Amino acid sequence: MESGNIFSLQRFMLLLEQSFTINKKHLGVTITALTGIFFIILGLSQSAAHFQGWTQSNSLITFELFFFSFGIVYASFAFPAFRTKEKTMSYLMLPVSALEKFTFEFLTRIVAFILFMPLLFWVVANLEGFIVHHFVPELVNYKFSFFTAWAELNNHNPVKGWTLFGYIQTALFAFIAAFTGASHFSRAPLMKTIATFSIIQVTGILFIYILYKVLNLKEVDYSINHILFIRGKDYAVVFYSLFVLAVNLSLLSIAWFSLKEKEA
Amino acid sequence: MIQINDLNFAYPRQQSLFTNLSMHLEAGSITGLLGKNGAGKTTLLKLLTGQLHPKSGEVDVHNHDPRKREVSMLNNVFFVPEEFYFPTIMISDYIKIYSPLYPNFDLILMRNTLTEFDLRDDCNLHRLSYGQKKKFLIAFTLATRCRLLILDEPTNGLDIPSKSVFRKILAGSLDENQLVIISTHQVKDVENLIDKIIILDSGKVIFHQTIAEISQQVCFVSGASDEVEGAIYSEAIPGGYRTLMPKGLTETEVDIELLFNAIIKGKKIT
Repeated sequence: MESGNIFSLQRFMLLLEQSFTINKKHLGVTITALTGIFFIILGLSQSAAHFQGWTQSNSLITFELFFFSFGIVYASFAFPAFRTKEKTMSYLMLPVSALEKFTFEFLTRIVAFILFMPLLFWVVANLEGFIVHHFVPELVNYKFSFFTAWAELNNHNPVKGWTLFGYIQTALFAFIAAFTGASHFSRAPLMKTIATFSIIQVTGILFIYILYKVLNLKEVDYSINHILFIRGKDYAVVFYSLFVLAVNLSLLSIAWFSLKEKEA
Repeated sequence: MIQINDLNFAYPRQQSLFTNLSMHLEAGSITGLLGKNGAGKTTLLKLLTGQLHPKSGEVDVHNHDPRKREVSMLNNVFFVPEEFYFPTIMISDYIKIYSPLYPNFDLILMRNTLTEFDLRDDCNLHRLSYGQKKKFLIAFTLATRCRLLILDEPTNGLDIPSKSVFRKILAGSLDENQLVIISTHQVKDVENLIDKIIILDSGKVIFHQTIAEISQQVCFVSGASDEVEGAIYSEAIPGGYRTLMPKGLTETEVDIELLFNAIIKGKKIT
């Protein structure tokens, strides 16, 4: 085994092998359950839309609902060793570097999920559509393509540039926030993460309320065009995208230091 | 091998546990770390392995700062805690996926120890009893051949035959580059194993001597009365008294329990 203290591909592969050996049954059951859930929910939704009214964008909305709800829950199970004291001790003493442990968790909890879930949904949606169409020919839109559905959902106006970047950063924020919560909180990480971000959000809303209502900022002749560099909607989108990117990078730094400084 | 200088540590919202603690340990010994409940034994072991971070002071393990938890330190330090976790996999799988992380892992020693402990490698770790899991953990620990082995209450949960197997294997499998620290209350289980004793009390090292040094200074005798002239410390045992005496003409085996009680009660043996 290589002895580098920062990153060894050999050790990282061993970490993957360990995780697969320990979790392979669990992984199989989860994929089977997800397949079943997608199949049933798509079937029920199509039935509720009387089949002929079903569109590809409906499938995409169904996917997005599952993608975010499952993704947030799955990311909140990152660093599973931190849930108990015994597991934490065992994990911290494992001769694998902090960077390898962090990369492993980030790749398996966020990157792999983002890549795998659309693939699984695409397979199930097409399979389910094909089967249902065979028995119920009224289901006309039984084929599913992410590109077609996305274009349909956005009225064939392509979302690109900073707007697309902003969408991606916002989606990543949901997963990264849950991931960071899992690295920081030992017990009930998802609940505590939601509570923490709710407090931050309420504080922000309260701050704006005080500015506008209590301090009467709305009475001040103050054009949005003069706020920093934000001169119109395009700049606001750039500002928002960069702001969420900065938040995401900060959250990942917090997760990194939570792992690095963890005590048992 | 282990150097601790002016270590200060306190748990959050609690009084200081260690104040300016210093200690030096070299390879080639089995050191018994003794102390009353709450003396800080497990905390000290966790500080040595980087699981806890000191408030100030220096801890050096094989020229590493344990706080950094560098791979080159972790692959030469193995810690057996009192309560531990195993994944739900077979023993053979565990050995296959975890042994490559330890550069000196001795597969033959692992197999032999499993046989001595009566464990088959096709058993699922999750289905084993606490004692069986402990035996497996001890077998794995010894097979890593790490330069520092830290065992916290290693004989807890072991049955009587397993305790003798443990003593036999531990004594027979170590080399002079290894240091073993055993923290225990079951001193009888490790009495003939350890060659150095450290006693912690109220966060301080109040005793640190080798068995040879102790034997040169005191002896341990049994008798019907506790009124023995020159006795340092005496306590009742079934059928009489056990007494700690300054060394006379005869050399006796060190009675660690009696020695511990004497030291904790403030008796000096020098």
